[in-house]
Amino acid sequence: MVIDLDKCTGCQACTIACKVENNVPHGSPEEQRGRREIYWNKVIAVTNGKYPHVQTMLIPMPCMHCEQAPCVTVCPAKATYRREDGIVMQDFRKCIGCKYCMVACPYGARSFNNKEQDEKEYHRQDLPPDRKSWGQWPFPTRTHGVVEKCTFCFHRIDRGIKEGKKIGKEVVPACVEECPSNARTFGDLDDPQGEVSRLLSSRGWTRLREELDTKCKVYYLFK
Amino acid sequence: MVKLSYTTIDFKPRGFYILNAILVALTVAGFICFVISYMEGHRVFGISNAVPWGMAIIITVYLIGLSAGSLMLSSLTYVFGREEYRLISRIAVFLAVVLIFGAMVGISLDLGRPEKMWRLFMFFVANNMRSMFAVNGILYGGYFAISFVYLGLIFAEKMKFIKKMGILAMVWAAMVHMGTGAIFGFVAARPIFYSPLKPFEFLAAAMASGLALLIIVVIFAFKLSKRDFKKEPFFSLGKLLLGLIIALAVLVLIDKLTHLYSPHREPTLWLLTGPFAWLFWIFQVGCAYIFPILLLIHPRVKKTVGGLLVASFLVVTGIFFERFLVVIPGTAHPMPFYPGQIEGIWGEAGSFPITLIELLMCLGIFSLMGLFFIHGCRNLELLPIIERRETPPPPETVS
Repeated sequence: MVIDLDKCTGCQACTIACKVENNVPHGSPEEQRGRREIYWNKVIAVTNGKYPHVQTMLIPMPCMHCEQAPCVTVCPAKATYRREDGIVMQDFRKCIGCKYCMVACPYGARSFNNKEQDEKEYHRQDLPPDRKSWGQWPFPTRTHGVVEKCTFCFHRIDRGIKEGKKIGKEVVPACVEECPSNARTFGDLDDPQGEVSRLLSSRGWTRLREELDTKCKVYYLFK
Repeated sequence: MVKLSYTTIDFKPRGFYILNAILVALTVAGFICFVISYMEGHRVFGISNAVPWGMAIIITVYLIGLSAGSLMLSSLTYVFGREEYRLISRIAVFLAVVLIFGAMVGISLDLGRPEKMWRLFMFFVANNMRSMFAVNGILYGGYFAISFVYLGLIFAEKMKFIKKMGILAMVWAAMVHMGTGAIFGFVAARPIFYSPLKPFEFLAAAMASGLALLIIVVIFAFKLSKRDFKKEPFFSLGKLLLGLIIALAVLVLIDKLTHLYSPHREPTLWLLTGPFAWLFWIFQVGCAYIFPILLLIHPRVKKTVGGLLVASFLVVTGIFFERFLVVIPGTAHPMPFYPGQIEGIWGEAGSFPITLIELLMCLGIFSLMGLFFIHGCRNLELLPIIERRETPPPPETVS
């Protein structure tokens, strides 16, 4: 995924889209202040300088889906694993809730589900109710006591591949689809002809916390 | 050599039942709190997404340290043959078993899904063996088994096996607590944790706190059961405690000094001067290092049982806060996602409110261990009686 920081307006549409798509529960203002709300995607504001010469960067942060993911290394129960296509997944059935991955994640991408939520099932409007059509769901029921995180909307990608659609053009994660300023671009980083590769060669880019050598898969284009 | 024969401790029936009832009540209260946390979710605790590990992890790490330290000290007699410490060795092994049991209870209560704890012990099958937590699963499981067998051998007085088992237990106990240190020390994302010294720091802390607890428990057990005991072994244990505290203080000093250089400078300065600074300086540095060292080098105080008890008590308390100050500030310090001032909640340090339910649950774990301990004292032959055949005490055999 490539995020153009020049286009991002900090409208939080990605955060809301993610919550709607993945049925991530909303929290009360107290929960939000106490850092107890579940966020699969967040937008942070980083200020540098002082008035009148001040710059604020708005940085949307989904899970970075690192190649050398610290969370995958530390998970004792193999609940967090990296799929062959590079998506780092969280299997709620295997997760024992030890929270070691939350300690190890350098991006704060993980949230602990610390209460029984009202909506237990994942409702996906874009999916037919019949589960046979999209195969086995790794976590059909939301349960408290496990760690949750962004999945790059793997369900959309898997279904798109099955239907023979082009990933990155016809099928994208919810946050990419909803972004009003088209700041996000999704695609295959290994495809030299793809839009992602074109963007990365056109401008200067960075990845967050490069010093930890996580080789993450979310790239940020500079302003 | 003083001949030791072990007996059970006779409690006054009334006092025992009152104590028993209090501990049972607290254990039940703790269990109810656990059930509430299991039904309601972990929002009833002080933990959040910023500070994922709370009180249960702190006391688990603390108890593992106490247990490992206690078990290692029993090897003074059974491995190194220091007969003058024989009076503490049996109770040390028993204490280690009780404490590791409490630690295992603690770790399972911290899990979001405790019913899936078995997944931690599916070694090499369903476990990711690159995870320090999974490696520690092997260490804890083995430790539990080893300390049980060791205790059994000691009660059966099978001298031939005790020494071999003692060596294994000592090495395994050291590995257990170094492994626990590695859980923290190998996490690169948290600068306060991240240090190759953590396993050694934890080892030193384990031995110091284990010894201090042992001194407290044994002296109290002797006093309350109105038995005579020689004071000299305790004073030499006090010297050992002094050495261990100094080793621990040096390790912590080196750890903090190296962390005062970039890139870990900012979080370390935050720990030393920020909102947790008073806990750090008063309870960790003061309670665990400076005051006990002063008490134990004081020429008169170090020769009194009271001074030794106070020093031990300070060490046991101080090392609890040392664990607290690893776990909580280590995760609470905000992570630098991007250079600059991160606005709003994402740039703030996490807070850790202590809730009643969490506190009662932890108290329940301690009460459960207390229950095991008093029943053990009553039913097992843990404490020695010095037979008064030989007075005055014979010249000590130095080995």
